[in-house]
Amino acid sequence: MPSSVSRREFIRKTGISAAAANLMFSLPSLGWANGAAPRKQRLVFIFSPNGVIPDHFWPEKIGADFELKRILSPLADFKSQMMTMHGVCNRIKGDGDGHMRGIGCLLTGIELFPGDVQGGSDTPAGWSKGISVDQHLKNKLQADPLTQTRFGSLEFGVMVPERADTWTRMSYAGPNQPVAPIDNPYQMFDKLYGQTKNRALLASVLDDLTDDFRKVEQLISVEDRRMLQDHVAMVREIEKELQSEIELRKKTGDVGHAVPTMPANVEEQNDNIPQISRMQMDLMVNSFAADFARIATFQITNSVGSPKMKWLGIDEGHHHLSHEPDTNEVAYESLIKINTWYCEQVAYLAKRLAETPEPGGPGSMLDNTTLVWTNELGKGNSHTRDNIPFVLVGGGLGFKMGQSMDFGKVPHNRLLMNFCEAMGHPEKAFGNPDFCADGPLTGLT
Amino acid sequence: MPQKYIQQSFCALVSLVFTAGTMAFSFSLDRNDEELFAKGAAIYRAQCVSCHGEKGEGGTDKYAEPLIGDATLSELAKLISETMPEENPDACVGEDADAVAAFVFKEFYGEEAQARNKPPRAALARLTGSQLRQSLADLYSHFRGTPKRNDKRGVRAIYFDGPNWKNEKKKIERIDPVIHFDFGHDSPGEGIDPKAFYIYWEGGILATETGRYEIVVRSTCSFVMDFGKIGRQLINNHVQSGDKTEFRQMVTLTAGRVYPFKIDFIQRERKTEKPPANVSLSWVPPNGAEQLIPTRNLVYDDLTPTFSIESELPPDDRSYGFERGLAIDRQWDESTTRASLEFGQIAATELWPEYRKKHKNDSNENRALLRSFLTEIVETAFRSPVGEELKERYVDKQVDATDDDIEAIQRSMLVSLKSPRFLYPLADQEQAISARHANRLTLTLFDSLPTDDWLIKKIRKNELESVDKIRGMAQEFVKDYRAQAKLKYMLHEWLNTKSFGEITKNEALYPGFDAGLVSDLRDSLDAFLEDVVTSESSDFRQLFLADWTYTSDRLSQFYGDSWLPLESAPADPAKVPSSQLRRSVSDPQKRFGVLTHPFLMSGMSYHDTTSPIHRGVFLTRFVFGRTLRPPNEAFTPLSPDLHPDLTTRERVALQTSPDNCQVCHTKINGLGFALENFDAVGKFRSQERSKPLDSSGKYVDRNGKEVSFSGPRDLAEYIASSDDAQTGFVNRAFQHFVKQPAAAFGPKTLRELTENFRKNDYNINKLIVEIAVLAATRDPAFSK
Repeated sequence: MPSSVSRREFIRKTGISAAAANLMFSLPSLGWANGAAPRKQRLVFIFSPNGVIPDHFWPEKIGADFELKRILSPLADFKSQMMTMHGVCNRIKGDGDGHMRGIGCLLTGIELFPGDVQGGSDTPAGWSKGISVDQHLKNKLQADPLTQTRFGSLEFGVMVPERADTWTRMSYAGPNQPVAPIDNPYQMFDKLYGQTKNRALLASVLDDLTDDFRKVEQLISVEDRRMLQDHVAMVREIEKELQSEIELRKKTGDVGHAVPTMPANVEEQNDNIPQISRMQMDLMVNSFAADFARIATFQITNSVGSPKMKWLGIDEGHHHLSHEPDTNEVAYESLIKINTWYCEQVAYLAKRLAETPEPGGPGSMLDNTTLVWTNELGKGNSHTRDNIPFVLVGGGLGFKMGQSMDFGKVPHNRLLMNFCEAMGHPEKAFGNPDFCADGPLTGLT
Repeated sequence: MPQKYIQQSFCALVSLVFTAGTMAFSFSLDRNDEELFAKGAAIYRAQCVSCHGEKGEGGTDKYAEPLIGDATLSELAKLISETMPEENPDACVGEDADAVAAFVFKEFYGEEAQARNKPPRAALARLTGSQLRQSLADLYSHFRGTPKRNDKRGVRAIYFDGPNWKNEKKKIERIDPVIHFDFGHDSPGEGIDPKAFYIYWEGGILATETGRYEIVVRSTCSFVMDFGKIGRQLINNHVQSGDKTEFRQMVTLTAGRVYPFKIDFIQRERKTEKPPANVSLSWVPPNGAEQLIPTRNLVYDDLTPTFSIESELPPDDRSYGFERGLAIDRQWDESTTRASLEFGQIAATELWPEYRKKHKNDSNENRALLRSFLTEIVETAFRSPVGEELKERYVDKQVDATDDDIEAIQRSMLVSLKSPRFLYPLADQEQAISARHANRLTLTLFDSLPTDDWLIKKIRKNELESVDKIRGMAQEFVKDYRAQAKLKYMLHEWLNTKSFGEITKNEALYPGFDAGLVSDLRDSLDAFLEDVVTSESSDFRQLFLADWTYTSDRLSQFYGDSWLPLESAPADPAKVPSSQLRRSVSDPQKRFGVLTHPFLMSGMSYHDTTSPIHRGVFLTRFVFGRTLRPPNEAFTPLSPDLHPDLTTRERVALQTSPDNCQVCHTKINGLGFALENFDAVGKFRSQERSKPLDSSGKYVDRNGKEVSFSGPRDLAEYIASSDDAQTGFVNRAFQHFVKQPAAAFGPKTLRELTENFRKNDYNINKLIVEIAVLAATRDPAFSK
């Protein structure tokens, strides 16, 4: 990133030491993103699989005076900051079964390549033919020094299977370029904080090391000790530098760059899904506070995902249940519970963002973030991609929130165009232009 | 220039050792020469000291380098008489020059004087970059063992009818020499329906050079490739999509390591139009061009996991003429931190889960399993069992510092692998003699440390005290991939190929000499070296006498009939692609091993013309192991265009004719000219600019004896039997393997090894064994 004026780059270019930089940047007058920079806008796509139970999802009433049904009830506290969008349909045809096109065309708005992966029905297919809207916006934001961040975008996952196929990838960096979400919180942690943490780790073990140098010195001949003495002197010097760096960071209370603590030894297992989901969301909030990225995806399992929500008393996998007819009351009830649990995750993230003041600006982080909760299907047992469950929470896009909307039957490409426009980068089309002629959806602002 | 000083004095020191007993000067020094010395000393003080310094240390504006070297006394006297003092060469001639030469020679110039003034010793060194890399690779291998060398080349292949593994649908099991198939819409073999099939390939990729490689898979069908360990995915093309058919991945590979891999290649039945099935496995090796991974680098029947650090390591000190771990600086320290963290990561993600599984029935109270896992790695890394105190420092304290197992592993590995107990391999005075022997043996042959269970057991039982045991082990170890890779590196250092950089030639003069051809030449040289070294006789002389080489279609097209393959084309050309190297026919008139190999000949030439000077310097310094001081100033070679009537030989002779050039060029040119039959791309020629070529040459050996050659054959035959060349080779091998000066192991070390080399019919592998035995059992530190 040669054109970068990120904090790190600025430090490097101006030759300010890391320690001094921490002092400098804590002073409000030098704070980033003040002054001329526009307000930060963040966009998060949250994916949960296998469609919903529409009757317990969509509000009956349109407009501001809408009611929250069972599945959306966890969002009660955010009613004034949310928007439900009925009538948005994924109209992309071509190769691939419903689930494949459901996830593969969801954020790309374009067909899949011909390929050899055969789903339950239809023709086989490969990867998407185009970039997804999250990656597209990330590129736009990264190209502008005012909106550039360390990572641009972060792709979170929760229990995404160790399989790279059309069902497990939502985000695309370009045609045939699926982006793998990171579903191991420790791996995400390393990506975000690895360096800082490794420095802390180093600082904490060097003392043990210097002590042992003295003993090893006794093992070698007098004429060779000089080398070891030089070595240990250098290690001591590094130790001192690291200590003062850490002390300074403590003193300046550099909250945005504080390294979060993680619960230990959480294995990637079905039963740990609730905990992993929390860990990942906490990491996302932290990374936003540190302005590491302004775009994120959060993919819970995958298209046709089949978590067994034993913590809700449901032993059967989600996908299998989603195929059951509505007349199967047990399955029906389970599906409502499962979707309600997904909604709780959205609500948890909204809550964390609402509780966190926007660094360097007024209001909360939720005021500058929009969560887009979505799905590959409208309804599980019909595999319809009409009425894709789009629920928005938060003020990042500047939409008029606190309303339930119905668009009739519009292609979802138009909504993808709204995202571009609201993030400051309007496009004449996104994905397959055949579905974009009518422009972005109206009435959102 | 302290670096140059060290290098020159060192090379000279070494040469002292083997000439000590056979010095044959044209006049000798004895007590009666005291008068001569006094006279010489007086003249030196009057005429020389202002430039060369009181003790010949140099460092003045006029002469920066110390006055040391390996010219004979009479050569020195002649040089002084003709050229000194520079401003007035007539001021010191004849007997005066003899007197000064005698003084200078005895006081500081001669090899004996150098040894007296600065005795060599085996200095403490940290792990070099290569040693760190290799040690971490072996540390990883501790739990599973290192793979044994085998001669099974190719890839194991299992072909199934249908898109998945079903034993009853298994149709073909065979060894494929390379992976390169174009099945089109046809069946890949009998009994297999082309509509849907599955091919499973597994094997290992043998890297013989450390560096960045690009793995390239081209496939029109679904495939997944694991690499380094079955289960460690490198490329996932589970989904065949659109026209995406090329997959590239950069990896850092370590020399002498086999990277197991498997490829699941699947043509699936589908309702839509199916692409033709084709697949190939290629690589771009460091400094090479893309090629199919050749059969010689494919090994089957061993899938032992391998790990290499990706972190870059800074280059090591080479001021002694070979790599040594002497520099202690921030850059190096940071690289050890990165390497330790990387190792901690792989220990946490691969080694620890396997260990836990293996010990699932053991008690894990107070995280006992984690502690014993870490203790085992630390003891291996420290080359010694650890007592309570060290265990507390390197294991327990780190485990107790955090509840998170992964973090505990990272802490423990970070502190242990940055510890002097790991980084200074020979700070082992406390250990039993068996351990010290084994530490040195593995360091010498593998750049590594003892990590195999069976070896550690022998060490702990102190079974490796005797020299014979160590020799027996060295004889086995020398065949190991790691030792052979280290030997290959040494041969390239000896041939100075790293100095060539990218070889390019004038396209108008040498059409067809392109990057692909150069890549084939490099491979041809490597294959030749490997063949000579690994053959039963492993005969050093063959490196100069062999009248065959390795060739490819491209090479025989460019270089002509003497580069045709030995056998007629193999029966099934599909099985051996044309890029594969094959042994060439003999050409006893024009081919003399590495000496005339076009990779060297073109590497030591200019864009348009040969460079007898480069070739002569190479032969003097690298092949004969002699010292040459740098030229008095930088010269631009005379342009051939300005002297259209002169041959290259004549031009070089003209430019280097002044007396003070001739001091060195009399040695250089005489060797370089003997190779003038090989043009700038290494093609044989018998005339230049329509003039018959004069490839006569000469060499004055270390004892002052002059030898003349009438051409390349004489030169090759002379080198093969030359004491200077043999000693130079032994010396280089010692330095490269032991990373200490040979004289530090005793003044007779080099002579002893060279005599032994001769007795063993110049067997290179046996030489390496003897060097390793000597380094392992006769470390001067043992006597302290």
